[in-house]
Amino acid sequence: MKRREFFKKGSKAAIAAGVVPMIASSCSGAKDMVYDRDQDKWYHLGTGKTGMPNRKKTVGYDVAVIGGGAAGICAAVAAARNGSKTVLIQDRPVLGGNASSEMRVHLNGVNDIGGQAERETGIIEEILLHNRFENEQESFPVFDHVMYDFVVREPNITLMLNTQAIEAVMDGDKIKSALCWQATTEMLYTINAPIFIDCSGDGLLAATAGAEYRTGREGKAEFNETYAPDEPDGWQMGATLLMSSKDMGRPMKYSPPSYAIKYTHEGASKRRKFAGYHEGIWWIEVGSDDDIIADFEENRHKLMGYLHGVWDYIKNSGNFPEAENLALDWVGSLPCRRESRRFIGDYFVSEKDMTGHKHFFDAVAFGGWSLDEHNPGGIENISEPPSYFHYHFKNVYEFPFRALYSKNISNLMFAGRNVSQTHIALSSSRIMATCALQGQAVGTAATICNSENILPREVTKSHINELQEMLLRDDAFIPNRPANDANDLARKANLIFGSTTSSGDAKNLTNGMSRDIDGAINHWQSDGLSAELQLEWESPQSISKVELKCDTNVKRNIMMRKDSRNDDLYYNGVPKEMLKSLSLQGRINGQWQNLGHIDNNRTRLIKFNFESKSVTAIRIKMTETYGAESVKLFEVRCYA
Amino acid sequence: MLSKTFIYVFFIVPFLFLFQNVFDFDEKHEIIHTISVKHPGEKLPITVQLTEVHDETGLPIGYHTNVESVICLEQVCKVVAVKLYWNNIGTYQKYELNPGETLEKYEDDFFEAEDYKKLHTILSNTASPYGEVRLDEVLTVVDETVEEVDAVSGATALELDEKDTVPGAALTCFTLWHWAQGDLVSVMKNITAKTINGDHILEFLNLESDTHYLLAIEELQKRKIYSKVYVEAVLNRISNDKTLLRKSLEYIQSAPKDVYLSFAKRLVVNGGEAERIAALKSLQNIGFNVEKSFFDDLSSALKHFNTYQEFSGFLELMQTRNPDSEIITAAVVPILNEDFLTARRAYYFLLNQNLTEEQKHKVEVFNQKYSGKL
Repeated sequence: MKRREFFKKGSKAAIAAGVVPMIASSCSGAKDMVYDRDQDKWYHLGTGKTGMPNRKKTVGYDVAVIGGGAAGICAAVAAARNGSKTVLIQDRPVLGGNASSEMRVHLNGVNDIGGQAERETGIIEEILLHNRFENEQESFPVFDHVMYDFVVREPNITLMLNTQAIEAVMDGDKIKSALCWQATTEMLYTINAPIFIDCSGDGLLAATAGAEYRTGREGKAEFNETYAPDEPDGWQMGATLLMSSKDMGRPMKYSPPSYAIKYTHEGASKRRKFAGYHEGIWWIEVGSDDDIIADFEENRHKLMGYLHGVWDYIKNSGNFPEAENLALDWVGSLPCRRESRRFIGDYFVSEKDMTGHKHFFDAVAFGGWSLDEHNPGGIENISEPPSYFHYHFKNVYEFPFRALYSKNISNLMFAGRNVSQTHIALSSSRIMATCALQGQAVGTAATICNSENILPREVTKSHINELQEMLLRDDAFIPNRPANDANDLARKANLIFGSTTSSGDAKNLTNGMSRDIDGAINHWQSDGLSAELQLEWESPQSISKVELKCDTNVKRNIMMRKDSRNDDLYYNGVPKEMLKSLSLQGRINGQWQNLGHIDNNRTRLIKFNFESKSVTAIRIKMTETYGAESVKLFEVRCYA
Repeated sequence: MLSKTFIYVFFIVPFLFLFQNVFDFDEKHEIIHTISVKHPGEKLPITVQLTEVHDETGLPIGYHTNVESVICLEQVCKVVAVKLYWNNIGTYQKYELNPGETLEKYEDDFFEAEDYKKLHTILSNTASPYGEVRLDEVLTVVDETVEEVDAVSGATALELDEKDTVPGAALTCFTLWHWAQGDLVSVMKNITAKTINGDHILEFLNLESDTHYLLAIEELQKRKIYSKVYVEAVLNRISNDKTLLRKSLEYIQSAPKDVYLSFAKRLVVNGGEAERIAALKSLQNIGFNVEKSFFDDLSSALKHFNTYQEFSGFLELMQTRNPDSEIITAAVVPILNEDFLTARRAYYFLLNQNLTEEQKHKVEVFNQKYSGKL
């Protein structure tokens, strides 16, 4: 068997040896590092055969995505749908990262900006809509399977669970391979790919590749950040351990375990609230001012102690009589991480970029969660508020592509909390739906890299317009960047009209803006159902694809949360505005012919694909929504 | 129908005069209705005395009732009697307290003057978040100055924008909003709908309020009233407000055939673009047979058409309900000289009609001229 470069690397390989079981770690030389496992013999009782198990595989993909949280899922799905053979490597048994059933953090986004949401669209919305259909009860374990379904149904994705990327094998400034350990199969994978995307949060692969990163907090002066500390320090926001309880209908006793840490709430900031405690308390949180990754197991143990200490306080202090019938029915064992490595890209996003709403020529994502910097010390510093909520945005901010790839590792991109940004910028952009938008952007960029045989930096230089257009077509929203796709034949239509109009204008559907925003109306809404939309061209057009963006009410949240709020701002059903049934006709030689029909539509972006036809007009007949009296659309596109 | 007249003499706290004078509730004829109604703060229906106030002609001009300021939790807040007023279609108008009474917040804090004004604003808002929140969410609120959080708990189950609530008085807002905008509204609408006579309906049709108009239309349809005076009022109204077109057409589509056809024809001939398009679509889908001559007569309207959509709606109607009409065909052939898209639409129509030799020739000429665009 050939040795791979990894095993010839000497001292760097020793790092990997430490995390791969059964590798000799005497460090006496590269030769001794060979992963031969010659003591591992199997003997089959039935056949009497014996041999050596094969525990090494080398596989190749167009794109390797590390990390199966919201960012990684969106990166992998974007790459796969755009034609890249993609592997998604996740070190846990379930997808979802912080929003998985192992951790259960709310999957939030731009939930509330001036009293309403400005929801993320694109792949993350598709996941959340899928969740509305399959998991209206908002069960986190069911959400695991919703995400699993969402990923494995993509033919271009290979999903590797329980697999951790532990070491990069380099070729100059490029990652050649990722060595990945799959715990359940004892398999060491060598994954080769021209493009790697690290969405793992901690970014172990990127770090072993030598990608530059920083940890801690920038001082005020470095980026002129109002909310940064005066001097730089090492603090990283803590991880939270969550739990949930159940009303048993009768008094339930609770006694804390041996490792519980007594909690009294004495001297605590008034902003450390207990409201909603039956579903967990987010300020049961411990961070680090040193190596937060190395501290993780110690912090986990502490967090488990604090969790039980706080629950003991709730159950037994006498201050919460309403908790008498409550009993813990789920307790986390895996803390939900907020911060560790932040890798450095060609651009480093800082506070003023966000609060000043800087316009980026390479914007590919947006955010709008507040600057929500959790306090240094976490639960070990309870006299401080658990978070400072420095700044609440009134409009969304842009996020640039240049912050999503490494400045010194040429084929490495990022999405999620490990992207190129200051600690203060992270305090807003770390929110999962924002990370998911970054994921869709880098997944799409990866396909451009592969199809053009270029590296991410080159995408910025010469393909940024193409990347933005692809994202917009795939239903991402980029602030201040209307779509303008030269291939979109709908924009060349000589006439577009709706059968009835109760608000907006059918002409808005080709203006490139796929939501109402900044006070501008960009929709057409019918007056009742059924309704028709028709496009006419003077000359026949060869069309094989018609794509619509219908209303899903992006001003109202459909996020994955377990408080099951159901009000003006949050909703846990299928948005009633969404289009349910529709059909498409094309006028061919003067006669209308059926080109497609969709029942029980489940997405905002609705696609008709059919054999290419030469048409002088198309009409879309919409017959049903999920409850709204009229149908509202934001975009129609047609392609050859 | 007249019952005893009650004169309520309230010594109202001064700021409440801000909300008055929409309707004069003094010394009118009143009928008391005993209503059993659901309130989301209570498990069982509650019985309330709803007073209908009407004028000398029997037209309801408003309603009022007395309710309690908070539901079910006397230990949380002091319970105060609140009198709520609505107009005759159940639109909340104002509230009043008994002399000397005041509303309280949590922890013995009192309403300030601004809080009373804000409460009125909240009760007036049909789309208030209080319509969606649950009582248990309201009850967990002890402090509404909360921020967003990224992890699981949220600081409270109820996070309302400052403008949507009186801080510290969520339960009062919740309770009163559900009285002001809850099930009683449809009760009042129903009472008014059943009470109004033909003159009142006509009055409603001519009011600027869409809600009054729609209630009148619905009542006309229920009572199967299609006399000229009402139909004319409807026609007049929709010529000024196309948002009422759909409901108005639903009403007229249930009229006797002659009334419907006359109405539809007037829309096609004399209406604006939206009315014409809606009428053409209605005629295309109407469920009874219509004489050929009626459709042929519509050709006279073609000269009024301006847009592709109008022409196209007309041609679709003719293709479906009146194909191969010589009169229509003759009227459509000149459209081949209109702007290209409209002309092409006419061309496609004519391809499916029986044509004279001359007409065929014109179609052929069009075909030759635009062969690459068809």
